[in-house]
Amino acid sequence: MTIQARSSKKRKQHGQDEASDTFNEAVNLEMLSDEEDKEDVESDNGEVDEFPEIDAGSEESGEEDETYKSEEDTGASGEGSSSGSQEQLHIFPEVKTIVSDITGQEKRVYPEIEPDYDSDSSTEDTPNRVGDIPMHWYDDLPHVGYDMDGKRVLKPARGDELDRFLKTVEDPNSWTSAFDKKAQADKPLTAEELDIIRRLYANENPDADYDPYEPLTEWFTGPGKEEIMPLTAAPEPKRRWIPSKWEHKKVMKIVRAIRQGRILPNRTKNTSQPPFYAIWGDSSSSNAPPLPAPKPTLPTNSESYNPPEEYLPTEEDKKQWEETDPEDREHDYLPQKYSALRLVPGYERFIKDRFNRQLDLYMAPRVQRVKLNIDPNSLIPKLPSPSSLKPFPTYKSLKVVHTHIARCISVSPDGAWVVSGDEGGVVRLWEVNVGREVKKWKFDGKIGSIEWCPRTDVSYFVVGTDDMLHFLIPPNLPASILQLTQSILAPSTLPPAPETPSPVKWSTPSSNTWTDETAVLTIHLPPSSGLPTQITWHRRGDYLASVSIGGSQGAVWIHQVSRRHSQAPFKKVRGKVQMVLFHPMKPCFFVATQQYVRMYNLSEQKLLKTLQPGIKWISSMDVHPSGDHLIVGGYDRKLCWFDLELSDKPYKVLRYHTRAIRSLHFHPTYPLFASSSDDGAIQIFHSRVYNDLMTDPLIVPLKILRGHEITKGLGVLQVKWCSRHPWLVSGGADGAVNVWCS
Amino acid sequence: MASSTVSCSVVFTTQTPYPLPSQKYMIPTNWKRFHLSQLINKALTLVKPIPFDFLVKGELLRTSLGEWCTENNIGEEETLEVEYIESVMPPQKMSDIPHDDWVSSVSCQMAGYFYTASYDGYVRLFDYSQKPVLSAPAHSAPITSLCSIPESKFIGDEDKSSHLIATSSHDLCAQITRISLPSDSTSKSESKAIARLHLHTAPVSSIASNSTGTHLLTSSWDTLIGVWDTTVPTSDEVPEPLINERERKKRRKLNGGTTESTFKRKAPTMVLKSHTDRVSRVVFGNPGSESTVYSCGFDSTVRLWDVENGVCTRTITSSEKPFVDLALNSDGHTALAASTDRTVTLYDVREASSNHSISTSSGSLVHTATPSCLSTGATPHQVFTGAYDGVVRLWDLRSMKSAITSFKAWDGMKKVLSIDWKRGMVGIGGEGGFEVWKVVEDLHS
Repeated sequence: MTIQARSSKKRKQHGQDEASDTFNEAVNLEMLSDEEDKEDVESDNGEVDEFPEIDAGSEESGEEDETYKSEEDTGASGEGSSSGSQEQLHIFPEVKTIVSDITGQEKRVYPEIEPDYDSDSSTEDTPNRVGDIPMHWYDDLPHVGYDMDGKRVLKPARGDELDRFLKTVEDPNSWTSAFDKKAQADKPLTAEELDIIRRLYANENPDADYDPYEPLTEWFTGPGKEEIMPLTAAPEPKRRWIPSKWEHKKVMKIVRAIRQGRILPNRTKNTSQPPFYAIWGDSSSSNAPPLPAPKPTLPTNSESYNPPEEYLPTEEDKKQWEETDPEDREHDYLPQKYSALRLVPGYERFIKDRFNRQLDLYMAPRVQRVKLNIDPNSLIPKLPSPSSLKPFPTYKSLKVVHTHIARCISVSPDGAWVVSGDEGGVVRLWEVNVGREVKKWKFDGKIGSIEWCPRTDVSYFVVGTDDMLHFLIPPNLPASILQLTQSILAPSTLPPAPETPSPVKWSTPSSNTWTDETAVLTIHLPPSSGLPTQITWHRRGDYLASVSIGGSQGAVWIHQVSRRHSQAPFKKVRGKVQMVLFHPMKPCFFVATQQYVRMYNLSEQKLLKTLQPGIKWISSMDVHPSGDHLIVGGYDRKLCWFDLELSDKPYKVLRYHTRAIRSLHFHPTYPLFASSSDDGAIQIFHSRVYNDLMTDPLIVPLKILRGHEITKGLGVLQVKWCSRHPWLVSGGADGAVNVWCS
Repeated sequence: MASSTVSCSVVFTTQTPYPLPSQKYMIPTNWKRFHLSQLINKALTLVKPIPFDFLVKGELLRTSLGEWCTENNIGEEETLEVEYIESVMPPQKMSDIPHDDWVSSVSCQMAGYFYTASYDGYVRLFDYSQKPVLSAPAHSAPITSLCSIPESKFIGDEDKSSHLIATSSHDLCAQITRISLPSDSTSKSESKAIARLHLHTAPVSSIASNSTGTHLLTSSWDTLIGVWDTTVPTSDEVPEPLINERERKKRRKLNGGTTESTFKRKAPTMVLKSHTDRVSRVVFGNPGSESTVYSCGFDSTVRLWDVENGVCTRTITSSEKPFVDLALNSDGHTALAASTDRTVTLYDVREASSNHSISTSSGSLVHTATPSCLSTGATPHQVFTGAYDGVVRLWDLRSMKSAITSFKAWDGMKKVLSIDWKRGMVGIGGEGGFEVWKVVEDLHS
């Protein structure tokens, strides 16, 4: 204790001299009590003194020791002479110049520095140097540790309980002392420590100097001290808004490394798979699961060991089963009946069955076929049923027989009479629904065409024979109609002849020689112009056009009955004209050559449009009564429907005939048209045309009428409708002219 | 084998004078008409066996009873009600008189004689021994229709020796002709046109006379129906049309060189206008209700006219059935009309049903070819039809599914154009000429 106090006194000279002094004065008693350890202090000093001797080895060290001693002595001897010792301390150590043993040169030698007093170390005040160890290790030992020199620090003597009690009674400082484990003795607490304890008790800050109520010094706040301006007036540095050069360099470094391949980006982690597979685990592959094996057929009643009686085969069945080949048998077993299950013998076909089952499993193609689940009926366009589109001709009502090929027929505008001409030159006039021939005319050569005048106030028809057109009047006409007809065909005053002489001659026999058998009017076409294959009337019944084939000159002529004048509308025609037609409404004219149908405007004398049916050889055409639709038939079995408002290409191409199409005709009032062909059949179509331009025409095949015989490769040569009824008249190569009624 | 025969219970009814007591009979199902007929003959103990036909639910029994039941899905437990009628004897061909041209109309109305009208414009008269009595040109154009005008007290003393007939023709007029029959075998019969009926501007399709012979009806293609009386005017009621020299010459030639015409030109008493297309047939109502006139036409209508007022009282419209012929039943309740859609349709024309606006068709007889002519006999349920396939069929209107009997005229595909059934004789005119068949009318029922 004394040592510690003294040494502390020595070392804390500068800051705590006065405090320690006062404290020492206050605890004087203790100082006195420590006097019994004076030997230890002396020994300590002695040891310190001994230190230069251990260290020396040279003469100088002794001298230095002396100075050190003297200093220590002065310091220890009296406090009053401290200034004098400080003066000595402030003198820089004296330099000795000696001759070095090694080099032989002089060298300066400085005295060694004594660190003991110059350094301030507060940790060196305890002699016990055992460190921070549990001190109970020394409980059974007589010492409490070791000092710096390795000598034991003995336990101080501790009095017994009585002494301790007495001490608490006698010593007034004992209640302010605490047991020091390192020293194993009670030590009185210093005044600072007591003050700390008192403060802790009072829940105050242990630091005595701490003032919790310091006045606030307002450095930046308060009136007049607001920071209006930024702290610095420096402009925003450029680096704030340019990318960092160094970051760029670092990134470029990585980029270069990636480019050179030193870094592999997105490298798959080399996770070494274990060399085994989870064969029992649920594989989560994207493939479809394997198809299930085909199921074996379930057993039926007849396979039972005890089937009902009706499943048992008769003798004939057995015999038949045995006679048929195994591949052809309906079942590969014969039902058999056993009264009990134990009577059933072994199944002799077991191996074979198993083998077949295995074959089924192995050989069955495990391919999932994607079935197109399309109802084939849904691909058929929705058409109304023919029965809902009645009436249309369904059966042959009657037949009028010609001796030659009946090439041309025509029905009167009122639909009551039919004229038919054949290749023998015979023209027959007969009633539509009786079939009785009322009159017959005979001409030289073939009848190429025949057509009834569409006017209803007059009644006559035109027959085309070789190079001639004959105008005939049917018998039994009312007087008014007959007179008008005669006045039109053979007027008493002929119209003036045209200025330009026409090669076509109009001739009328004198009225005295008129008979019912001859023509009232005859047009002589230019010689060798051939047989007129077609005559067509304008709807007003004044103009008619004729088409001749085989002639060298222009084949198409337009005749005007009222002016008795004929003209060729085309000077030069490209291609061979097959048919011509007048438009039912407009002043238009259709001309069908072998491959094209041209539509001309007659009043403006110009070509309106050219239709391209895509047929190699056009045989026939007809125009719808509305004038907006045209059907064209060809020898190559095609039938094209043209919507004239729509396109130059066919709206619909029908290929129903097996041979060349010969004739087409639209019904004037019913929504029907008919086509006839060399295959001997007539096909009836429903053709509904709508007024609005958005709805497409509805074409429904209705009926195939068979009844004509094919003669010399020719079938039905012409079909014509009766105007008021859904009745069809057809002329065939077999000479028959049939009437088909609904 | 008694075990294999299955029986069904049958109740017999009849309208013949041979009734059975109404009780149930157990009839083996494999019995046919012949067995049933024998059964009834034996049950009635008829001295002279009469063949019977059997109607089961309005259908003529052609098969065995069991087959009929299975066809019609009738269980064997049900009691069948079977009506039996006297069988129609198979028709027998009596005579065949060929003609030069098609025969368009025949008439058997005059007892002892047949009239035929032909497309060559001639009217021919035959007696029952097939001997041609008369062949006279009546028109210059085909004759379409012929009817005899019965005269009761028109000419008293010449009652037996002269007939009055009316013909219609394609030459736009109809004609009344007096036929004078020979008083003895040496003298020839003569014909004399006494009146021409001028109205129509199109071929006249039919002509009909009422039962007393006072009025005539003509129908024409020009949609008109003319009503005429049969009195011969003293002078021409219609002026002669202005015809040119050629026509006059021709007319003169036709009349045998005599410029004076023997007939008077006559105008109609009334014109019935309502049809929109060709009128194909017009007939008077049955005796007692002759003020009603029935007509049919190509406009698919059957019209009833009040001839006294000249108005159309009722129109029966059907869809797309151009009618070609019409006949009234003898009871006057129903009319039959043949159309070009190969059906003969039965219409109820009674007054009671006239308030129905819908055309009441009570059934149709389906043919295989166009039916062209009809003739109803004295019984109200039997009708003869002739068709373009040359087959003449006899139908029973109680069993309309199939014809009772049929026979072929001229043994081929020659059109039958006209048929008349009177006094058990069926006169058939057509493409092949004229034929007479014997069919006994079922007068009992």
